[in-house]
Amino acid sequence: MRFVDEFRDAELGKVLAGEILSLVEPGRHYKVMEVCGGHTHSIYKYGIDDLLPADVELVHGPGCPVCVIPMGRVDDGIAIAKTEGVTFTCFGDMMRVPGSEGSLLDAKAQGADIRMVYSPLDALRMAKRNPDRDVVFFAIGFETTAPSTALTLKRARAEGVPNFFCMCNHVTIVPPLRALLDSPDLRLDGFIGPGHVSTVVGARPFEFIPADYGRPVVISGFEPLDVLQSIQMILRQLAEGRCEVENQYKRVVPYEGNLRALEVMAEVFELRPHFEWRGLGFISQSALKLSDAYAELDAERRYEVPGVRVADPKACQCGEVLKGVIKPWECKVFGTACTPERPIGTCMVSPEGACAAYYNYGRYAREREVV
Amino acid sequence: MTLTVLRVDEERELALCTTEEGEKETVETALIGPVQPGDALLVHAGTALQRLEAPA
Repeated sequence: MRFVDEFRDAELGKVLAGEILSLVEPGRHYKVMEVCGGHTHSIYKYGIDDLLPADVELVHGPGCPVCVIPMGRVDDGIAIAKTEGVTFTCFGDMMRVPGSEGSLLDAKAQGADIRMVYSPLDALRMAKRNPDRDVVFFAIGFETTAPSTALTLKRARAEGVPNFFCMCNHVTIVPPLRALLDSPDLRLDGFIGPGHVSTVVGARPFEFIPADYGRPVVISGFEPLDVLQSIQMILRQLAEGRCEVENQYKRVVPYEGNLRALEVMAEVFELRPHFEWRGLGFISQSALKLSDAYAELDAERRYEVPGVRVADPKACQCGEVLKGVIKPWECKVFGTACTPERPIGTCMVSPEGACAAYYNYGRYAREREVV
Repeated sequence: MTLTVLRVDEERELALCTTEEGEKETVETALIGPVQPGDALLVHAGTALQRLEAPA
């Protein structure tokens, strides 16, 4: 397969694993955070952590869009979904995220008209086919998904679709990274930068990490050789005393990002003063809402929502997993009370969630022998 | 997801694309400019974010 097979070559993988080993300074323990949930998924799916020396530890970051949605927002979505005359649409993963009294899937089972869509454009098509229903799209995701929502809202307005609305939960990647770097309970040596977010925002927004915090960043693709090469590039920077933003994913990520996408987002969205992240609490200017120019398409302005903050279940340690403080299997309910089939926390819902990725691909390999 | 362009609706800035397995999907192309059949696109949530360049 084009753009895939050449990045899964096992022999090249062995070469990279050897180079990583040769760059490890004896006696030093390295902690490298992969920011993006897509990387977490690749790491477990391809067993990349098994190829690394014991002193190179991968720490999973907060970049799984579903994982960071707090319970209160799920409750708000369910309240809209249960409104008479509303067809509520969302991505498949989102349907299983627990709110305080069940998930969107539970609400659907109780009779609410909730549909899974693959894109906001699908939701817009549904609105056009059902002019007697209000079709609400529950938008989630980082800067990778936000342009798609923005374009769809522009299209809805241009085509004069009066019954399409958006509940916006888009978040931005830089504020949580800054929050993590300011956190005293996490010492990191470098970052595997989010490849697909960077196709939109470019590499520049990550320059504060080497400049202000002295940590290298390597923007990475998602195939196994991409991730291995990115780890090698981080270790090489550390070995050579360099600290900068490098771009391993040049075949996709231009340094300046996608300027058209940034323009569209700036037209349709504005920053929220603050937004609650599951496990990370409130982070200033870390999420997007519809701008006043698009107010008539804003579901939060059209419907009453509870807007109540809901604490996570006591047993759930998603917050510590999202901050990289504990590993998925160190959570008290991992793989017992909390499984992909019956998730308690969000990290067990999405394939990009660290707990689900580990449960699906790595749970039998934890007690492996160190070679 | 990487998709290949099959057919283009330039006026509406949409393209019919296919996965390697033959699944078809309509994709917004407004963010990357004109595309042609055979182009490989990085697509997220139904929108093309970049055109892929073959590795050197």
